[in-house]
Amino acid sequence: MIILDDVHKRYRTEHGAGKWVLRGITLDIPARCSVGLIGHNGAGKSTLLRLIGGIDQPTRGRIERRCRTSWPLGLAGGLQGSLSGRQNAKFVCRLHGDDREIVERVAYIEDFAELGEAFDDPIKTYSSGMQARLKFALSLAFEFECYLVDELTAVGDATFRVKSREAFKALAGKSMLIMVSHEERTLKDYCQSGVLLTGGQAQWFDKIDDALAAYRAAEAQAHGP
Amino acid sequence: MTAMRSSLDVTLSVWKALFLREAVTRLAAGRGAWVWLLLDPVAQIAFLMVIFSAIRARAGAGVDFTVFLAIGVLGYQMFRSPADRAMEAIAANAALFSYRQVKPIDAVISRCLLEGLLQILVAAVLMSGTALLGLEVLPRDPLQFGAAYALLWCFGTGLGMALSVGNVLVPEIGKIARLVFMPLYLVSGVMFSPHILPPAARDWLMLNPVMQGIEMMRVSFFSSYPPLPSLDRGYLAGCALLALFLGLALQVRYARRLVTL
Repeated sequence: MIILDDVHKRYRTEHGAGKWVLRGITLDIPARCSVGLIGHNGAGKSTLLRLIGGIDQPTRGRIERRCRTSWPLGLAGGLQGSLSGRQNAKFVCRLHGDDREIVERVAYIEDFAELGEAFDDPIKTYSSGMQARLKFALSLAFEFECYLVDELTAVGDATFRVKSREAFKALAGKSMLIMVSHEERTLKDYCQSGVLLTGGQAQWFDKIDDALAAYRAAEAQAHGP
Repeated sequence: MTAMRSSLDVTLSVWKALFLREAVTRLAAGRGAWVWLLLDPVAQIAFLMVIFSAIRARAGAGVDFTVFLAIGVLGYQMFRSPADRAMEAIAANAALFSYRQVKPIDAVISRCLLEGLLQILVAAVLMSGTALLGLEVLPRDPLQFGAAYALLWCFGTGLGMALSVGNVLVPEIGKIARLVFMPLYLVSGVMFSPHILPPAARDWLMLNPVMQGIEMMRVSFFSSYPPLPSLDRGYLAGCALLALFLGLALQVRYARRLVTL
């Protein structure tokens, strides 16, 4: 379960404090619930995901994670360019503790990512698709109770997409999921509930369909008939 | 499902992971990184030996000049190397801050730990080599020798923590710090003994904590090297404590601004 209590966030810009991105978000996201974060570009979806993931701190308010939460999957970063794929995989395994399982986990990551010999090459020689494969394999290697996902499903080539979608679906069925996506189909596939972000405020919908409908209505109003 | 880990468990596994990650890039980067690590102090000592044999320097009766120089060079490296390498630690690990377990301070600490360990290994190899040449390499007072060596590391690490924050917030600070390291080498007594200086100049130079540390190492190494009246055993410890405090305080104060992805 994840509790957000009056979360405010603004970033520091070159001209002092910027405008508020999030202004007072209070949410209780229950365990085993899958939520889609909806909003137009710049509404603060990724910001909120980073705050929940603990990478950044809210300017005001409080966030409590009462479960093992993943890092925000799909965001930039997370791989050290000078190290090989294998070394990066070992690094992430060590971070998440339990040294005894490193061998199995690295074997799993190597197997899933299907990078072949490139697994032992430095990350900076990887294409963006190869990096995405490795990151996806990394995220599947751990059993989190809550997964944070930012536009993750659109990686790799067609076969890899099918494979990753299935693997992720199996995982998502067992755990909590907070997902940012602009694809309605993806959201409907994975999420039961939805949160609509507008003007720095959050609105909770029990059904993802209602959230999407509200989002469409708001968009239509903004752009006129 | 495993239970939630304690903060200490998480921090220790982060340090371990970062330490190994740093060790890999430090020792596998480029050709023969190991060789360069050893060659650097050896070249410095050899260079200084050549210069000073030409102008016939001496370090005092019963003090071998090679060992005297070696202690100076190794002592200075134990201070400079963590301070210097820590400055880039945050930028070099920026990609890894997307795992919330990893904080900038962890990157700095693990890099300094690695530098300290590497310096000890280099010193051990160098001293064993010197022993094979038939020189006396065991300190008279190993405990005090080790303490001075460790305090130089603490001072360098504290300074590195502070400089690493400064380097991110104001990039010029790193450049200025590197400029300062060069004259600092000259006034830290790496290549001379403060005994040969006039007392007034000597007292001023002994305000430099690095000089204090190197002198402390020499006094505890040679049985015939007299301590200066201005050698204060607590001074370097105080400076190291102050630097560590300042470094940690800056890391805490600016923790948020250091993580920008």
